[in-house]
Amino acid sequence: MPQVKIIAKNFMDMVASLPAIKLDKLYNNVFICEAILRSLPPLAKKYVLQMLYIDVAVPATVLEEWVLADGASKHRVAIDRLIQLRIFSEITDRKRGTSYSLNPTFQNNLQKHIISGGVLPREPMNSDNSIKLPSLQELETYALKQWERFLLQLINSGQGDKLNGISESMMKIFQRGLLSQRDKDGPRLTESGFQFLLMDTNAQLWYIIREYISNAEERKVDPADLISFLLELSFHVTGEAYNSNTLTELQKNTLKDLEDLGLVKLQQGMKGNWFIPTKLATNLSVSLSDSSARKEGFVVMETNFRMYAYSTSKLQCEILRLFARIEYQLPNLIACAITKESLYNAFDNGITSDQIITFLQQNSHPRCADRVPAIPENVTDQIRLWESDLKRIEMTQAHFYDEFPSKDVFEAACDFAREWGGLLWEDSKRMRLVVKSEVHNQMREFLHTQSK
Amino acid sequence: MVNSIKGVFISCDVPMAQFIAHLNNSLPPSQKFIIQVLKLDTTCMFVKPHAEEMIHSAVITFREQNSYDAKAN
Repeated sequence: MPQVKIIAKNFMDMVASLPAIKLDKLYNNVFICEAILRSLPPLAKKYVLQMLYIDVAVPATVLEEWVLADGASKHRVAIDRLIQLRIFSEITDRKRGTSYSLNPTFQNNLQKHIISGGVLPREPMNSDNSIKLPSLQELETYALKQWERFLLQLINSGQGDKLNGISESMMKIFQRGLLSQRDKDGPRLTESGFQFLLMDTNAQLWYIIREYISNAEERKVDPADLISFLLELSFHVTGEAYNSNTLTELQKNTLKDLEDLGLVKLQQGMKGNWFIPTKLATNLSVSLSDSSARKEGFVVMETNFRMYAYSTSKLQCEILRLFARIEYQLPNLIACAITKESLYNAFDNGITSDQIITFLQQNSHPRCADRVPAIPENVTDQIRLWESDLKRIEMTQAHFYDEFPSKDVFEAACDFAREWGGLLWEDSKRMRLVVKSEVHNQMREFLHTQSK
Repeated sequence: MVNSIKGVFISCDVPMAQFIAHLNNSLPPSQKFIIQVLKLDTTCMFVKPHAEEMIHSAVITFREQNSYDAKAN
């Protein structure tokens, strides 16, 4: 699968793609209703809130009156989204036309939620300050460290300490799309593996969670329960401790896995066990487009193709090694150079120049990022030039047709090939044609019918 | 009746086309692979199927000859 890109879609898209029964079961949980409400486009939110206390079906024409003429497309988008999430159900009646009504479970839960204000099933524990909580900063470093350890383990099973939560089989499932088994030097990263490494943390986290959820059925865990637990988790306050004895068996098992990913921190004490959600957990339901807390960039790129990365993390060193030559490593600095050989290596592994350039731009040091452009143009241009150098010759499997009996047959064949998107070259003077091999069989049949 | 020949369609820039033509000429007649040169400015041509790999590896060796590797001393 050469051109597969790992598309990290929104949590909400995944929720929307669940079958109808599961979705209705999900709406029993108040927090999911709120999370879904927050994720709707603005017009859809307005419609839901206006219809919240209406019990009868509202005709579609009334809804359209609420929108000005130039908002018609946004109206359509909002309605489609609501139907997709099964919040609106559409009833078509010959006399009165289409009308919409809110999903009853969703409606009841949201009404209760508005009145009661959303109380979590558990309260933060630290009312008498007897537990020593880690500070937010410590929590953040802990989360980052766990996540990095997990990633290192993911891409290179040899290195790094073994994680106790996530079993071997789970790791294999995560690695399924990213690594490939080669006989010579052990597992190597695939093209999608490289693309995965160059994505930013939120996107990576979402990919892993999505694999985890889709895999849940094989482990005899109901994905709906899993999704509802994860969404609930995102409503907890970062840094507050919550008692673990309010969780079900399933949730406790999930917590152990989540600890290895850096989403929660488990602690034990005299009063029992508790867990502290980190920022990674509370960011789960946030859509990927608004990433407010960007991690600080660390790469300084110079016009002489040298790169200085102010980082001590092994994972970032590995990522840089993918496309640059590491010259030396100091206690707080990694000095590297981007050379033709190192880039050719990266291109051989399936990384594109756009990915490298986006990675450099997203991770550039704050001092560098203020400059316009963040990465010097000669570097970006040269990276693109080196990539295009590899693609100078374009070769396509094709068939060459000549000796057409008449001009009309030739023209007809040309048009046919063009419709199928297979026309590579034509010469009307000498009546010759070159068509892609994929279209050859259809072309042959077409010519048979023509000659009759 | 229309005649069809199976092969590989190559589209490239002029220097590369010259290189391929040179490669073709250096081979003995039994192994020549260019079937037809399609455009007068020599940017498109049609070659025999098995030549694809050969052209590819020849281009790579040619490119490597042009690059200087500091470590290979």
